[in-house]
Amino acid sequence: MVGAMAKPVEQTPYDDLVVQAKTEAGALARLYDLYYDRIFKFCVHRLYNRATAEDITSGVFLTVAGSMRDFKGRTEQDFRAWIYTIAANQANAYIRKTSRRKRLMENVVATRRAAEPGVSPWSQLDWPTLYNAIGELKPEHQTVLTLRFFEDMDYDEIGRIMDIKPGTIRVTLHRLLRKLKEGLRDDLGGEA
Amino acid sequence: MFQDEHNLRKAIGGMGIDTEPNPAHRQRLRRQMLATFEAAGTSPTVAAPKRVRLVSIMLAKLAVAAVIVMAAVLGIQQILRLSAGPLTFNQVRQATEKMTWLHAVVTEYRNGAVRTDEQWDNLEARKTYTLTADGSVLHANYGAAQQKFFYSPQVKAMVITELPSKGIWGAESAHTLVGTFAVFAAQDDVTVSEWSDQYEGETVRTFELDRSNPGIKVDGKAVARLRVRLMADLETRRLVAAHIEKQGARGMMLAREEWVVSYPQSGPDSLYALGVPRSVRVIDRTAQVIGTPPAEPRPISTPGDTGRSKLVPLKIELPKPLFVGTPQDNRVPNLARPRRGARPPFPAPPGTTNVAAGKPVASSDAEPLIGTLDMVTDGDKEAADGSFLELGPGLQHVTLDLQGRYEIYAVVVWHYHQQPRVYFDVVVQVSDRPKFGRGVTTVFNSDIDDSAGLEKGRDLHYTETNEGKLINTKGVVARYVRLYSQGNTSDELNHYIEVEVYGRPVR
Repeated sequence: MVGAMAKPVEQTPYDDLVVQAKTEAGALARLYDLYYDRIFKFCVHRLYNRATAEDITSGVFLTVAGSMRDFKGRTEQDFRAWIYTIAANQANAYIRKTSRRKRLMENVVATRRAAEPGVSPWSQLDWPTLYNAIGELKPEHQTVLTLRFFEDMDYDEIGRIMDIKPGTIRVTLHRLLRKLKEGLRDDLGGEA
Repeated sequence: MFQDEHNLRKAIGGMGIDTEPNPAHRQRLRRQMLATFEAAGTSPTVAAPKRVRLVSIMLAKLAVAAVIVMAAVLGIQQILRLSAGPLTFNQVRQATEKMTWLHAVVTEYRNGAVRTDEQWDNLEARKTYTLTADGSVLHANYGAAQQKFFYSPQVKAMVITELPSKGIWGAESAHTLVGTFAVFAAQDDVTVSEWSDQYEGETVRTFELDRSNPGIKVDGKAVARLRVRLMADLETRRLVAAHIEKQGARGMMLAREEWVVSYPQSGPDSLYALGVPRSVRVIDRTAQVIGTPPAEPRPISTPGDTGRSKLVPLKIELPKPLFVGTPQDNRVPNLARPRRGARPPFPAPPGTTNVAAGKPVASSDAEPLIGTLDMVTDGDKEAADGSFLELGPGLQHVTLDLQGRYEIYAVVVWHYHQQPRVYFDVVVQVSDRPKFGRGVTTVFNSDIDDSAGLEKGRDLHYTETNEGKLINTKGVVARYVRLYSQGNTSDELNHYIEVEVYGRPVR
């Protein structure tokens, strides 16, 4: 019997673009156009505040621009994992600074609305409440949740970004969801 | 879990989280990103079709071949040069004086104080311009005019005299350092030696003269021994550096100078380009007149002492230094060399105080990342966490409202001195208008490539220390002071520990 087949690498029409972008500004600009919205969206989901999300987005692309020629990857899949890793690390570094985190959460709490009795709890769940609950988790776990539920990534992709095995991601997500439900119990009317 | 995942996804989908990007930010970041990519050394060429790439490869191979040939030619030239003997002083003088402009940064050590001046020599027109650390300007015209002009911002007057007709610095002498060296070297009692040496990692040819009793004085004391050492680049044959020592009796060092020389494409076209006001009061001792051009000349008279010419040293309290020495970041272009010893006292008119203390501060960054804007004028200059303001990345500014018009003699800024960093595109402006739309005076600008879009600057980058950066503002009158920066050698963020504005109310 032949050994386990290697997992096929996802191929996209942008693989050539990634290789070209290591030396050509035009190609890098096209990659930027492809990824700006996604990275900004990820930063908004991680950081809640749009201005902060812009700052971190800036940091991500400036890091990419400075390191592109040394980037070892050759496919779009490699590039996606790389840029999201940078974004996740920069967002986590921001959140780890206590003073910023405190200001961030004050912002979130200020915009939460009260739960309405009699209305389905899941449908009442608003963004500030959810963000507050996610914010109670460790930054790395916040990243896993965001990549799964906000960026719609599969376990393999999350694993590439976080450098964790996909199986571990599944188990981690399972535990995180349970923890999130407990944190949201009051906001969801005691039902989860 | 599937049900919970499903519910959570559905809930997230219905939240209407606003993730629509700001087009202005997208465009701005695109430009910054591409600039960073270019700066990182990657060739900014647009993608070329395959046929063009093949041609490019062929051209590259031809270029490599050309480089090999050039290296061979240069090698042969080097052999020929070496066989012709070492570089001579006459060759250095010819190569140096063949240039149009010479620029020197001269650091002088005298009486325990250190001062850095800049000098431009127009070698074609035989004119020199010197801008001293305190804002004085000296211009010597060795051409047809044979005159010397000296402007003092403290006295606010310009004195015109004739060049001395005789002597080493006189009209008949050369007006360049190499020319002066040649004049001394030709004298009978002067010894000249030469050798190969290393200067900043490069091999140079060094020429040194040693002259006893050269007939010059420093602070009224006769110089007993003058040593002048010139260093010349072997490739260009031009002067690149000089050291000058003036010793008094018993070998005591009276003054020492270090020159760093370069050859720009252009220089100041007049005194006024160095900050001499066009309306300056002129005392022309060559024509025995006094007046302000184009006013009618009046008979010369000694101006009364208004007391405004008396200057006193500013008292500037300094925070604790957190590192020793001033390590140089060699990646930063146009970086000022560190000063040895403390900053010399800055002279200002009596009654000059920090008029920015406790005054309101505005910023381009509505949400500073760390700290609050009032930290900029709260008097706390320590570099500890909790003492500084951190603004976002990119070009940012803070604006101080002095709440009145002041004659401003100095601005002192501390960005961040926990480590030796260099802040980029530091631009300091003053204005009477809060929006800085019109009537703006730039008093400092180290943005050498105009990346901030405020105009190209000529001031040197500098390494942050506990002394802060003192900017001589020469008594400019204004109400608002704005300071820009655009990142630093450690990150893209902007920081302020304290800004002091030394001035006195407009009379």
